[in-house]
Amino acid sequence: MTGPTGILVALISLTIVLAAVFLFHSSITAGTTGKILAFVALCILPALCIDAGMSTHMQRSEQTRFCISCHSMENYGKSLYLDDPKYIPAQHFQNHRVPPQMACYTCHTDYTIYGPMKDKLKGITRIYLQYVSKPPYPITIPGGFKNAQCLHCHEGARAFEENPVHAAIMSSLTTNQLSCISSGCHDSVHDASNVDHLKMWRPGQ
Amino acid sequence: MKLPSIGIKRFLQVSSALIILGLLVEIVSLLWFHPLSFVLFAFVGAILIGLGIVVYLASLVFAVSAPAENRGQSVRGGPSPG
Repeated sequence: MTGPTGILVALISLTIVLAAVFLFHSSITAGTTGKILAFVALCILPALCIDAGMSTHMQRSEQTRFCISCHSMENYGKSLYLDDPKYIPAQHFQNHRVPPQMACYTCHTDYTIYGPMKDKLKGITRIYLQYVSKPPYPITIPGGFKNAQCLHCHEGARAFEENPVHAAIMSSLTTNQLSCISSGCHDSVHDASNVDHLKMWRPGQ
Repeated sequence: MKLPSIGIKRFLQVSSALIILGLLVEIVSLLWFHPLSFVLFAFVGAILIGLGIVVYLASLVFAVSAPAENRGQSVRGGPSPG
């Protein structure tokens, strides 16, 4: 284990060792050094571990493999490998138009200041549906897929803005009156229910 | 049972036990790559660690309040001025 998670595990291990000192030898707090050590081991370091743990979990939940580790998301993950450029998520994923390690997050996150936190709360609701209630079928995005998620990258891009079709409907796109993935436009998205019957792209072959 | 009667030593033992348990849960949540690992961390690990910190802080409050009580008793029991 390397990287930030390795450093965090080392910090947690150090905190466990220091906390264990007070579990078995709590009398060392009689002296001033013991009191300071107790404050560090039982207050500062554990608080730091919670903060770093939360940050690590938040970053980890942005990864594609995290999203598709949920059983009901498996086919959505597979759909990123569809061998047909008309499928928008597959085309973006395979050509690195989105970071492949964060493909789901890049197109589905709420790009606002508290967006990641809202996404996390929505994720907890989905965990509840998965393990306690019943996940909806087919899976839908509450409120629909918003154009802002496409425009976050495409707005201002030359090829996008100079396209005559886009230019003609730009105000409808920015106000979300017309969806980018509506019928007749970029309407081939995940097709998760048919993914097992479609041709797949195998990297390196 | 009144809280101060538990004793600072007991407070520290409970606090460190809760923190160690919470940190062990946090390690498990970091090694387990699954959507439930966040739930394990947030709803079990972080709560145990948080409780441990609260118990430790409570021990500080009671460690301070005990001598104050004694001071009050010595003032009441001491000779009257004048």
